[in-house]
Amino acid sequence: MKTDCKTVKNSLGAWLDGELSASETERIRMHVEGCPSCSGEKEQWERLQVSLRGVLEGEASGVAFEPFWDGVSRRIFAERPWYARLWDWAGLAFVPQRLAWAIPLVIVALLAMFSLDQFFAGWHWGSNRGNGSAVDSIDGHGFNVAVFRESKTKTTVIWLFENQEDEDESSGEPASAESSF
Amino acid sequence: MNLLVSPRRLNLLFSLWLVFWGGSLEAAEKAQQGVQLNIGTILASNESDGFDSKLSKMKNQLEVIKYRSYHLVKEENQKVPWNGNAVFEIPGGRTLMVMPQEYRNNRVSLKVRLQEGEKPLLDTTVRIRNRGNFLLGGPAHEGGVLILSISATTQ
Repeated sequence: MKTDCKTVKNSLGAWLDGELSASETERIRMHVEGCPSCSGEKEQWERLQVSLRGVLEGEASGVAFEPFWDGVSRRIFAERPWYARLWDWAGLAFVPQRLAWAIPLVIVALLAMFSLDQFFAGWHWGSNRGNGSAVDSIDGHGFNVAVFRESKTKTTVIWLFENQEDEDESSGEPASAESSF
Repeated sequence: MNLLVSPRRLNLLFSLWLVFWGGSLEAAEKAQQGVQLNIGTILASNESDGFDSKLSKMKNQLEVIKYRSYHLVKEENQKVPWNGNAVFEIPGGRTLMVMPQEYRNNRVSLKVRLQEGEKPLLDTTVRIRNRGNFLLGGPAHEGGVLILSISATTQ
């Protein structure tokens, strides 16, 4: 019973303000009618509310609300310049929470861009850019070797001057060979 | 638990997963599948004019090497595992050995040896773009020179 009174007293304010559900309201009302302690508490709440309402209404009657509401209304309906509207839109669109979707989107776009050369042979933007080959090491075993890279077609050519070794050594000149390039 | 189910956390986890998945999947797949090697043996000479229609896709590349005629002598494909050795017979008693070493940054690293009989002529390591090629030329053959187009594809 004591616990019940405590619960009821905690809910008295909400009950008097009409914030409780129908069943809760009915339960509190029945308890208050049969409980002198809670009934007295309820009457104190009611007196307090009456006093507060009297004070607030008395003071409020002296306040000029019309100019205040006029000012608010003017600001609401005033035509705002385009940059202010843009700024408002940007502020809403680029708040961190709304930008969260952009992170996976950017990653997916980058992965797609760098993977397109797997599906389209002519795609040269992703990991395919820089099409040329690289010669890491080369050993001609005594033969002259030339490495040539042609930038237009990005062709790498390794040329072995197979029969020029003796001739080069005797003349001391670079191999001309039969090759024309 | 709440931390895991909040949308921002989920977004972050999804992003991380995408990054690792995207980066590792491609390399792992390629490591398993090996490399398809294609060797085209081309005879280039100045004895006559002519261009083999089978080489039309390589015309721009071959124009770098200024011969009057190009003829595809032989074309051979082999699928070889990583660090496996593929041997190709080249006209004139020569042998081309190609060993795919690694795949990195969309480049296939190939260790290549050309030899004549048992005598090595050339050893080189070249990194070429996946599905790309390079040319190895110079060995004399039938009044011209042989040009080998060495290409590698890993799916």
